[in-house]
Amino acid sequence: MSAKNSVNISFSVNGENFEDVTVPTRQHLADYLRSQGLTGTHLGCEQGACGACTIEMDGVAVRSCLVLASQANGSSITTVEGFDDEVMQKVKNNFLKHNAFQCGFCSPGMLMTTKEIISSKKKLSRDEIRSEISGNYCRCTGYQSIVDAIEESINEIN
Amino acid sequence: MKAPDFSYFEAQNIQDAIKYKSEDDEAVILAGGQSLLPALNMRLSSPSCLIDISKINNLNEIKIEGDFINIGALATHSDVMNNDLINEKLPCLVDILKMVAHAAIRNKGTHGGSIAYGDPAAELPAFAVAMDAEIVLSGLSGQRIVNAKDFYRGLFETDLKSDEILIAIRYPFLSHNQHLIFDEVCRRHGDYAMAGLMARVELDKSKINNLDLVYFATGDKPNIAQNTAKLVIDDRYDYEKLKKSLASEIDFAGDLNSSSEMKLHLATILINKILNKLER
Repeated sequence: MSAKNSVNISFSVNGENFEDVTVPTRQHLADYLRSQGLTGTHLGCEQGACGACTIEMDGVAVRSCLVLASQANGSSITTVEGFDDEVMQKVKNNFLKHNAFQCGFCSPGMLMTTKEIISSKKKLSRDEIRSEISGNYCRCTGYQSIVDAIEESINEIN
Repeated sequence: MKAPDFSYFEAQNIQDAIKYKSEDDEAVILAGGQSLLPALNMRLSSPSCLIDISKINNLNEIKIEGDFINIGALATHSDVMNNDLINEKLPCLVDILKMVAHAAIRNKGTHGGSIAYGDPAAELPAFAVAMDAEIVLSGLSGQRIVNAKDFYRGLFETDLKSDEILIAIRYPFLSHNQHLIFDEVCRRHGDYAMAGLMARVELDKSKINNLDLVYFATGDKPNIAQNTAKLVIDDRYDYEKLKKSLASEIDFAGDLNSSSEMKLHLATILINKILNKLER
């Protein structure tokens, strides 16, 4: 068990298998994903506060800046690039319809959090939606349009 | 905001992790990593090695053991919040966890990790102390149990020895006349509190029979305010009196969000908030 500064891991991203890839031990998952061209996952604060790097790991939303790439060994990951199913298409259309972004920096994290809200099957009030997205910062919209888009998505899908 | 270099070891079982940790004083246990990784990214910590215990099986079980609810170290905050047993027997914990960060962090952060990390601003260490929980540690010479109030020694300092790993937390049941009431003041939902209070109250009809006050985000560790609790039992809420008492028994430490005087003020008014909640 010598001090090694890289490890070999295998995992899948958006259905594509990454077999036995070498990652630096100190590299967080967001940096690894971005190094592979998956730049939809954004990095804001790198301390878990802003929510822009939120991805889905083994079925739940997590901060990819607070997960080491090495910890992803054996897991199944979905990033914003993998949002091609019918449900997420509807969510994306609602974000477009309500203009729920301006600069787009927070959008991948917002979409990921919305995915988790939708999959919980709960009917949420606007206040509850605000509470659910409280871990995702948006510095442009003032959140109104994002809440509109999520509200319509919940009503449409659930 | 990138972590310093370290080596990484994925432990397959507790024995492996204990052995590795006992051989390297600078190694740190990685569970959910939701406090550790920000600290690494901000270079507040530089361990030689991270021993990842998150893949160890059966360390996330939540079950009843005798007079206790036993929460396995690796149960995530979301696991705990969605657990039927916890919702039935310890519903106050579900409400407390709603105040801990945000969903995506609660999906990964673990109960044992928060207890072992011992952040003085975190809710769970204070909750464990107020509940008189037992902390189960496993090391080279076997298991031992430490009371939560003896577990916290100082700033991020616990009773964990270099070969030990926290494997579970055992909470005693609250009887029908006991209540765990909490409140905190923070700038935004999900932030660390500027000051927070866990109060375990034992009622005799509407009279307070027994009271434990445990503060968080006030000092170097969960701060127990024993004398102040007695004053509350005797004459309920008297701002000046309680403030004076708190100042004499807690060494309030200011931070970026609030000075020590502000924390003292908040700690005092939190008692009133708790008493108001109790009356409801």
